[in-house]
Amino acid sequence: MQRSLHIHVADSRPLTADILSAMANSLHVEGISRRFGTLTALDNLSFSVPTGQVVGFLGPNGAGKTTTMRAIFGLTDLDAGTITWKGSVVGQAERRRFGYMPEERGLYPGMLVGEQLQYLGQLHGMGASDAAAASTSWLERLGIADRADSKVEALSHGNQQRVQMAAALLHGPELLVLDEPLAGLDPSGIDDIGEVLTEQARSGCCVIFSSHQLDQVEDLCETVVIIDKGRLVVTGEVDELATSGPRRLVVRVEGDRTASWAEGVAGVSVSEVKGGEVRLVLDAGVDSDGVLQLARSAGRVTEFVFERRRLSELFREAVK
Amino acid sequence: MRIVVIALLVIVVVAVRIYRRRRRRSNIARRIHARSNAIRSDVGLVVAREVRERFRGRIFKIGTLFILVVVAAAIVIPVLHSGKVKTQEVGIVGTLSASLRSTITSTAASADVTVHVVTESSVETAKSDLASGRINAAILNGREILVNSPLSPSDNSAGTQLVRAVAENLGIAEAFQAAHLSPSQSEVLKAAKALPITSVKPGKGSPGKATSIIGSILIFIMLSQYNTWILMGVMEEKSSRVIEVLLSAVRPIQLLTGKVLGIGLVALTQASVIVAFALILSKAVGSSLLHGTAPLVVVSTLVWLVLGYAFYSWLYAAAGSMVERQDQVQSLALPLSLPMIFGYIMALTGASSGSPSALLKVLGYLPPTAPFAMPVLVGFKAVTWWEFLGSAMISVICTIGIARAAATVYRRAILRTGGRIRLREVFRRTAR
Repeated sequence: MQRSLHIHVADSRPLTADILSAMANSLHVEGISRRFGTLTALDNLSFSVPTGQVVGFLGPNGAGKTTTMRAIFGLTDLDAGTITWKGSVVGQAERRRFGYMPEERGLYPGMLVGEQLQYLGQLHGMGASDAAAASTSWLERLGIADRADSKVEALSHGNQQRVQMAAALLHGPELLVLDEPLAGLDPSGIDDIGEVLTEQARSGCCVIFSSHQLDQVEDLCETVVIIDKGRLVVTGEVDELATSGPRRLVVRVEGDRTASWAEGVAGVSVSEVKGGEVRLVLDAGVDSDGVLQLARSAGRVTEFVFERRRLSELFREAVK
Repeated sequence: MRIVVIALLVIVVVAVRIYRRRRRRSNIARRIHARSNAIRSDVGLVVAREVRERFRGRIFKIGTLFILVVVAAAIVIPVLHSGKVKTQEVGIVGTLSASLRSTITSTAASADVTVHVVTESSVETAKSDLASGRINAAILNGREILVNSPLSPSDNSAGTQLVRAVAENLGIAEAFQAAHLSPSQSEVLKAAKALPITSVKPGKGSPGKATSIIGSILIFIMLSQYNTWILMGVMEEKSSRVIEVLLSAVRPIQLLTGKVLGIGLVALTQASVIVAFALILSKAVGSSLLHGTAPLVVVSTLVWLVLGYAFYSWLYAAAGSMVERQDQVQSLALPLSLPMIFGYIMALTGASSGSPSALLKVLGYLPPTAPFAMPVLVGFKAVTWWEFLGSAMISVICTIGIARAAATVYRRAILRTGGRIRLREVFRRTAR
C-alpha cells in the first residue's frame, strides 16, 4: 500500500504522524485480543476511527466485529490491548457520552417507547425534561412520533429498530457505535438510517457501524475498517481504496462483440469480455486517451468509464 | 447470650474505628463525593423505573386487592361470628311463675342472648310455630322443653346453648322450690361458680398466636412474590439484551442495587398498606388480633420482612443473572425457595403448637429461616430484645456477605449468553 493514500494495512508499517494527530480526536483501538476457549475472536487488532466521517466496520460473519464493539463498552473482557477515546483509556465516564446499538436489539419489551427513551437518556446523564424533549424530537425525526405511547413489543421489527436507533442518538453522543444497524431494513429504511448517520458525522460525531454485507454499505461509508478472523485486513478512505491499484476501464464499442482492438496493446490486459463490454486493466504508465483512440478506430464508442474496485473485491484481494 | 453480647461489642468497636478512619480521610471523601452523587443518581433512576413499572402492573394491583380481601376476611369473620346477637323467641304453653320467667331472662343475659317470651295457646300451636321457625323453643307448663329437631352435642350455636342453659336452670330452680329453700339460700346456691383452673405453662390461645400465623403467611407470600420479581426482572433484562444498552451507561452494581432497592420499596409499601389496613380494620371492628403480644408481633413481622427480603433478594438476583429462559428458572428457583418453605412450615407448626420448640429457637438465629421463626418467638415472648437484635445483626452481616458474592456472580454472569451458567464457571473466571 502507498503511504500517500493514508491506507493502513495490518502488520505493515508504523503509524504516520497525520494518523497520530487524527487519533487525538478519535477512537483508537490498540492491539486488542480476546480468546473464548480455543477460539480466537480478536487477534492483536488495531485501528482508529476519525471524527466527522461515517466509518464502516466490515468483515464476514464471525470476523470479530461484535466482540470489538462490545469491548468498546466494556461488555467483553479483553485479554490484551487498550481502547482509548481522545487520548484517554475508555472508562465509565467516557461510555456515558457514547451511543450504542447492540446487534441483538435491547429494549424492555413491555415498557412504553417514550418513557423508555427518556429513561435511557437520563441514564446517560440528561435531565428529565431534556430527555423527554430529545425523545420526542428523535421519534419525529425517525417517523414514529405516533408510537411514543405504544409498548415496544407492539411495534414492527423496523420500528423497533428505529426506537433502538433513537436510544443510541438521544443524548447527543460523541461516539456512535452501531452493530449491524441496517440488517433487516427495507431500502427506504436503509436510506433513512444512512441519512441520520451522515448527518451525525457532519455535526462532529464519530460514527462507526458494522456490516457483513460489504457492497451494500459501500455508498454509505466514507472510511472503512475491514477485519477478518479477528485481524485487520485493510483500513482507509473508501474513495482512495476503490481507486487505488491498477485502473480498471470498461469500454463498449457499437457492433463489436469480440473487442479484438484491445488485444496486444502494451500495458493493457483484457480482464473480461461479456455482452459486448470489455473490462481492461491498465498498467501505471498507460495513457487512457490512447486506449480511447484505439477503441474509436474500431467503431462508435458508447461506453468508456473507469470502474472502482468494489469493497468485496478489495477484501478478497487482501485476504488472498 | 454471652456470645451475642460479645458479638455486639465487637461490632460497635469496629464501627467506631471505621468512623474515625473515615473522618481522617475526609479530604479523599470530598473528592469522591461528586462521583458518588452521580452513582446515587443512577441508582435512583433505576429504583424509580422499577417502582413505576411495578406499581403500574396489573399483577401488583390485583395481588394487593386480593391480599387486602383475605386480611379483611381473617379479621372480620371471627368478630362477626363471635359477636352475633340474635333475639331468641321462647314460647310458653300453660303457666310459668314469675320467678321462673326471670330465670329465663337472666340465663339469656348471661349467655349474651336477647330473649323474647311469647305465649302459646296450645301445644299444637307451639309445635306449628316451632316447625315454621317462629319460635326456637317452647316451655310446656314449666315441666318440659320442646324443640323442633334433636339437639346435636356438637352444636354450639347461641340458640342451642340458650336452650341447654334454660333447661338446666329451670330444673335447678324447680329443685330449689321443691327443697323449700329460702330466697337467700337459693341466691347463694345460684351464685356458685367452678374454681378457677390455672396451668403452669402458658395457654395455647395466646393472643399473639393468630397474629403470628397471619404474619408468617404474609412474609412467605411477599418474599416469594417479590423475590420472583427480582429473578424474572434480571432474567428479562438479560434475555431481551437490554442489559447491553444499560451497561453501556451504568455499572452492573448500580443496576443490581437499583433493582433490589426498587422492588424492595414496592414490597415495603405493599406490606405497610396491608398492615395499616389490618390495624385500622381490627380497631374498627374490635378484633382480638391486636391484644397481648400481637402489636410486638406486627412490628417484628415488618422488621423481618425487610431483613428477609434483603437476604433473599441478592440470591435471587444472582440466580436471575445465570439464566435467560423461563424453563431454566425452575431448576434454580426451587433450591432457593426450600429454606423459605422449611422456615415457613416450622413457624406455622410452632405457632400452632402452643410453645416454641428448641428447633424453632435455633431457626430464629439462622438468616434464611429467621424471618419466619423470629416473629413467632416474639409472639410467645420466647426472646428478649437483645436476642432479637442479635439475630437481626447476624442477618445483616450475612446479607452484606451474600450481597457482595451476588454482585460478583451478577457482574460475571449477566453478559454471558447461550445457556445456563454454572456457579463453578462464574468463580473460575478471573476478575476483570
